[in-house]
Amino acid sequence: MRWLLFIGLLLPALITSWQVFFAQNITDPIKYIYTVTGTTSIILLFATTTLSLIKNRVNLITYRRQIGLFGFFYALLHFLNFLIFDMQLDIVFAFEETLDKPFIYLGMVAFLILLFMASTSTKKLFAKYNKYHKALYVALILVTVHFVMAQKSLNMAQYFYLVLIGFILFFKFKQRLHF
Amino acid sequence: MRPLNENDVTAEELFVNRRKFLKLGAAGLVANSAVMDLLAKEFMPKANLQYVKDSNPEQLVLNSFEQITSYNNFYEFTTSKEGVKYLAHTLKTDPWSIEIDGLVEKPFVIDVQDLIKKYTLQERIYRFRCVEGWSMVVPWVGFELSQLIKDVKVLSKAKYIRFETKYDDEMFPDQSRGLFAALDYPYAEGLRLDEAMNPLSLMAVGLYGKTLENQNGAPLRLVVPWKYGFKSIKSISKISFVEKEPLNSWQKSNPNEYGFFANVNPEVDHPRWSQKRERVLGQLFKQRTLMFNGYEKEVAHLYKNMDLTRYF
Repeated sequence: MRWLLFIGLLLPALITSWQVFFAQNITDPIKYIYTVTGTTSIILLFATTTLSLIKNRVNLITYRRQIGLFGFFYALLHFLNFLIFDMQLDIVFAFEETLDKPFIYLGMVAFLILLFMASTSTKKLFAKYNKYHKALYVALILVTVHFVMAQKSLNMAQYFYLVLIGFILFFKFKQRLHF
Repeated sequence: MRPLNENDVTAEELFVNRRKFLKLGAAGLVANSAVMDLLAKEFMPKANLQYVKDSNPEQLVLNSFEQITSYNNFYEFTTSKEGVKYLAHTLKTDPWSIEIDGLVEKPFVIDVQDLIKKYTLQERIYRFRCVEGWSMVVPWVGFELSQLIKDVKVLSKAKYIRFETKYDDEMFPDQSRGLFAALDYPYAEGLRLDEAMNPLSLMAVGLYGKTLENQNGAPLRLVVPWKYGFKSIKSISKISFVEKEPLNSWQKSNPNEYGFFANVNPEVDHPRWSQKRERVLGQLFKQRTLMFNGYEKEVAHLYKNMDLTRYF
């Protein structure tokens, strides 16, 4: 099961790499990589928070760490796409852009939070730092805003997506605060 | 220096045969490009327009017909650039009338085919730069907007030209979505009259020698190559000559991010995207964006006393 999940979660990255580097059938590769890695990351990160919501029906908590790490993995690919293909490894320019554009620095802050969480996800470090892992909610809000700002204008599917995110956050806070 | 050993010496057989390897490699390359040419031709449309060819003096590398017709912003259908092609069949371009009104001697309505017949068509190979940061090179076919303006007898009070796309929710699915629509319709755009008179401003009716595909703005669209793509309004149904600067759709939807002029300018960033570089469709790496999209010589004089960071 764990291996099946591993392969399943790796599929978006494998398919995208195949399309971009071997088949070369993508019209706008940088944009495409942003879209695939960004949406996959958001979906996985939100998925990790819903696992505890549904644990009384289906208990998938044992996979939470794996899914969360994959969420980070896609965020990392997203960041590398920014740094390597979009900024073409021009670190100074990338830094200026980050400070200059709210849309980018919100994404960066979220990425740093995820980086912290991923690096403290080993058993030993998690025991010590798990209380800080609530920062995931901050990251989720930031990536949602980042996602909305990335659109030129919102369409129906995206409104639906935002409503869904709203629902998940509502039930999470309800669960956390017991109201 | 490290002394040479047995491993550093090329085997005699390989050494003798190395020419053969090189030739094989070269032959492989030629075959490859020949195959690519054939493949490209296979996707080429059948030309059905008569036009004067562009000699392409700048040797711009054209994007393929496939790329140009498969990646389009046409929000009346969908915000998905890949999706437009599959939805655009609901646009019916025959019959299609064009209304010309406002500050002209005599407003009138004309069938688009009659309008096109009045002019000699010419090919124009232009760079096309989207505000989102991607670009391509398109061999448009059309006529100069200035010819049309000269023919319709514009009154001297007119300072601007305003274009409008059709409002018809049977043809354009996004127009019936009300609050959830991506933009306010009908889509409108405008140019200052001197910009419209510039010989680069083109009324396009085709590309690659063939009448426009619906997703590219059939039957008639504007092409203003030194401005971001959204200025080049698609599927025009109304042209008005007006005194005041018209409000264009993107400026209306988000005035902080989209201005009236929308000149391609690597020095002035969009609030979310840098405009210094661009992604040419089909390429993984980016290239530098040129001032006025490379048409500085032809158009810079139009803006010589203007602060382009303010009038973006």
